[in-house]
Amino acid sequence: MKNNLPLKLVIMIILFILAFVFSMLSGAGDISFVQMLKALFSNADENTLIIINKIRLPRFILAVVAGAGLASSGCIFQGILRNPLADPFTLGISGGSAFGASIAFALGLSAIGWIYIPMCAFIGAIIAIFLVYALNIKKGFDSNSMILSGVVASYIFSAMVMLIFAILSSDKLFSAFMWLMGNLSSFDERLLMPVSIVIIIGILILCLFGNLINVITLGEQKASSLGINTARTVKYIFLLSSLITASAVSCCGVIGFVGLMMPHIMRKIVGNDHRVLIPLSAFAGAIFLPVCDTLSKTLLAPVEMPVGVLTSIVGGLFFIILLLKPGRKFAL
Amino acid sequence: MIKIKNLSCGYNKIAVVDNISTDISECSFIGIIGKNGAGKTTLLKSLSGLLKPYSGNIFINGTDIYKMKRNLLAKKLSFLPQNMPIDFPFIVKDFIMFGRFPHMNFFKYALKEDYKKIEEIMDFTETKEFAERSILELSGGERQKVLIAQTLAQETDIIAFDEPTSHLDIGSQSSIFRLLRILNIEHKKTIITTIHDLNAAGEFCSNLILMDKGTIFKSGTPTEVLNYKDIETVYNTTVVVKTNPVSNKPVVIPVFSDNK
Repeated sequence: MKNNLPLKLVIMIILFILAFVFSMLSGAGDISFVQMLKALFSNADENTLIIINKIRLPRFILAVVAGAGLASSGCIFQGILRNPLADPFTLGISGGSAFGASIAFALGLSAIGWIYIPMCAFIGAIIAIFLVYALNIKKGFDSNSMILSGVVASYIFSAMVMLIFAILSSDKLFSAFMWLMGNLSSFDERLLMPVSIVIIIGILILCLFGNLINVITLGEQKASSLGINTARTVKYIFLLSSLITASAVSCCGVIGFVGLMMPHIMRKIVGNDHRVLIPLSAFAGAIFLPVCDTLSKTLLAPVEMPVGVLTSIVGGLFFIILLLKPGRKFAL
Repeated sequence: MIKIKNLSCGYNKIAVVDNISTDISECSFIGIIGKNGAGKTTLLKSLSGLLKPYSGNIFINGTDIYKMKRNLLAKKLSFLPQNMPIDFPFIVKDFIMFGRFPHMNFFKYALKEDYKKIEEIMDFTETKEFAERSILELSGGERQKVLIAQTLAQETDIIAFDEPTSHLDIGSQSSIFRLLRILNIEHKKTIITTIHDLNAAGEFCSNLILMDKGTIFKSGTPTEVLNYKDIETVYNTTVVVKTNPVSNKPVVIPVFSDNK
């Protein structure tokens, strides 16, 4: 495979700019390209300013950050779990946050303050992370036992979510349901800054570990004989990428397939060297999620569909096409 | 020199290797033989620093390897596990480069000298022709050579192999053992390998350790260890031991008769 990295990077940058323009121009209220530039860089009429700078730009940034976070942590989970089908949710993180958010909705906390839903979702995710962590301390963070404990945690949490739904009144049920589907429309702007900082710093740190993750994919024995304390390293990388996932999920709900599909596509395009793969998966997620979010706003306008529904449909179709492609073996 | 002193180790508090003591001198080519479950791999893992002993010590040049920093041990001893998982289609030359990991700086980026080293190793192991291919596309024999190349990239004086030629055809098997012999004789590496094929063990190893039930049943030169009495006792089967007319090394032939 010819690895024409600079060219691929340029193409991605162009795609990113297109995604930005698309996100800024689509939606209710006609805004032209020139108006958009004016609003961003100088001054424009108040209406345009509000739409671009107060509504669309923050939402675009959130989509970029969340997409990058989900895609890069997916890439890392695939690496440390040595499983190309792992994603940020394999380890039960989404289950935990769904559980936390559902409790918040059931108690009516969303009416009291904006912070409660993301906070409870985040706490739920942290509980799930520590459950998996605690179950694996004795097992030395072996990939099979991590996947198994993650799947078990997911099942338990989703059962509890169902239980909450069964006793929830219908108006609360709808907003909880919309949240669970993955939704960028209901986030509070005050969350944008802390979440972006956590995710961006997390991704930057994880980018440094690319070669470490390469070596960890060779299994515990080889990694250890190359001088790595495998269990400890896997533990720290797991905690850090879980934190990224939890931050993303707590403010935009469960958005499926981004963390599975983006690393998959990038593995095909740039190969499997995680030093390159992690940053570029993050970049791909940062392009894909804003586009999906904008489409989910506009496709069925004025009704807005949850972006998680769209990413799952796109992701599902993508894997069906992969399966139908003759000749090549599935996956990678 | 490696010194193993009263070593006991195993899994889940059950000792698989039971109170073993032996010395392995520099530049020797040691074959660990014995039945399945005799503790060969367990011994190998323990002396590679991967399995902490319940009691006893392993010293390399006088230093206890379990008191050494891992990264330091990784520059003295490399280990190739038997069933190493390869789950991603890495490009062969990148894959070999992973062996340089202990020598890289904090950011773990390969430098010019690392690339140079990899080139040499790919020439030596004859892996250059598939350097640009995905490791998952290679045949069993080719893949094994790449794995050995990766282990050599670690540049250690002691190299441990766990069954490096299991499920390979005799051609690939000999070419891999020839590589190991050159490493041993010309590059002065100490090689320790577990091996099931007694004839290859007799042909290539300078010393053999015959294990049985977690202890050393017998050790010595191939001619000393591969005699029909000891082999029949340990393996519980009838054999005939002959001499290879070319190398004068012992050859073990199992006898399948219905008389027993």
